[in-house]
Amino acid sequence: MNLKISALDYVQEVHTGNISAEDFVASTIERIHKIDGTLHAFLSVNDDAVDQAREIDKKIKSGKKVGSCYGMPISIKDNICIKGSKTTCASKMLENFVAPYDATVISKLKNEDAVFVGKTNLDEFAMGITTEFSAFGPSKNPWNTDYVPGGSSGGSAVSVSALECVASLGSDTGGSVRNPASFCSAVGYKPTYGLISRYGLISYANSIEQIGPLTRTVKDNAFMLNVISGLDPNDNTTIDNKNEDYLSGIDSGIEGKKIGIIKEMMVEGINPSIISATKDAISKLERLGAICDEVSLDMVKYSVAAYYTITATEAGSNLARYDNLRYGYDFPVEGYEFNSYISKARRNFGPEVTRRMIIGGFVPSTGHAGKYFLKALKIKSKLTKEINEAFKKYDLLIAPTVPVLPFKIGEKIDDPVSLFLVDVNTVTANLTGKPAISIPFAISNGLPIGMQLLANSMNDKLLLQAAYALEDTVTLPEISI
Amino acid sequence: MVTEEEIEHVSKLMKIEVDDHKEYVDKVHAMIDYFDILDSAGVEYEEISMQEISISNLRKDEYIPFNEKLIEKLNNYKGTYVRAPKMS
Repeated sequence: MNLKISALDYVQEVHTGNISAEDFVASTIERIHKIDGTLHAFLSVNDDAVDQAREIDKKIKSGKKVGSCYGMPISIKDNICIKGSKTTCASKMLENFVAPYDATVISKLKNEDAVFVGKTNLDEFAMGITTEFSAFGPSKNPWNTDYVPGGSSGGSAVSVSALECVASLGSDTGGSVRNPASFCSAVGYKPTYGLISRYGLISYANSIEQIGPLTRTVKDNAFMLNVISGLDPNDNTTIDNKNEDYLSGIDSGIEGKKIGIIKEMMVEGINPSIISATKDAISKLERLGAICDEVSLDMVKYSVAAYYTITATEAGSNLARYDNLRYGYDFPVEGYEFNSYISKARRNFGPEVTRRMIIGGFVPSTGHAGKYFLKALKIKSKLTKEINEAFKKYDLLIAPTVPVLPFKIGEKIDDPVSLFLVDVNTVTANLTGKPAISIPFAISNGLPIGMQLLANSMNDKLLLQAAYALEDTVTLPEISI
Repeated sequence: MVTEEEIEHVSKLMKIEVDDHKEYVDKVHAMIDYFDILDSAGVEYEEISMQEISISNLRKDEYIPFNEKLIEKLNNYKGTYVRAPKMS
């Protein structure tokens, strides 16, 4: 079975009867069992996946209406609820939590006959960019297993890149879809804020996070967006996209489009091979007829500090629900008074979550809110104004997704500030609500480099068209695992 | 500059208890020190923009019944009784 096929090819092959959903899903599960002991992309595997695929084959054979996914094997980040499945957020605190309802994105995929092969690894509660902060151990980069796969949706990116599924869903709060997509050579999408419902996504920083698809091609990403986007009465921040078809016209090209190269994202410390790849991407876009020149977004310099201040504050509030009364785990309660019981229970949070809870309490507190939290909100506001101004002149913006190559597991784990700086090119899209995509663009020393494009809010279709045009200029080696 | 006492105070407020106290304090300290860069952004007079949502775009204020047996979602129950942690 050729597991390398794209999502769209899979649909075509099953639709025409060349392959069965059952055979493809069975081969996918077999591959997971074969290689995931090394990669650790999955926290749990759906034992019923093959049976579910068989049921879809029966529907096809009997001529019943079949959903557009045709039993496509999809992995889901383990902070998105699937009814009846464990949803752990890679945390000991939720180790045995079984979701009582489906997230909206899951309902939409079920309605289109997707098959969920398993739940993927992440940094605990999506707080991190390497998956090293998973309470159940890190995922490994399939291009070199000594290296991190990025995060926090690291397991999702690994599963797509290593052919353990056809597509995956992650969540992107500051780059958590695009960063691992870049590190693992997958396509990762962060939509316009509100385009995809967050209902059923376990909250980290509600005001800026979004669910986003990871796929092997840009077209597959557009296909996934068609399925999961749109208004949801359960999430009042969703936007009516009028059932936009992101696949139609995806090959429209970018002739005459103006593209701004974000000056502040090509700064000191960036890896030389990434600078070289970015210059190459710009040349290719120009050859396709785009007009590229430099644009300055001054607030980018402060964006990481603003991002961590805002997210820690929201995380501090969101994590307050984990008091071991409503969610949690069994441990003897005798001998503790109320507050010490909660404190004791919270020792089950890992180090990064604990640090962010402390920061989340500190930065908005009396005497400090003006210096940190309010200033961060002002920077978010000014950055949004700057990027809106830029989009009056440019159709798209470009920057490398991550300024560094994937690094070794353990290399940066003890230096949280150096990890902050890995986010410098991705947080802008979250703070401003703009859509952004990372596409595989180059390989340097056997490690992937992703290129990022951004568009104005609700210009997701244009963004996918541009990404498709750029993707079409690239030929990369196949993964060997 | 943030003091160790301030971080300890917030830890207590957030009901956080940690084993290796010094390690946590040092790392949190380094992270908060990094946030000092916010002081040089020159945004004192910037207004915070808010996202407005019109009332017509909010969902209807109506009761939607939960049709499943909620008690069966709990780990420990007997009949109509739920086992919860004992409070001392």
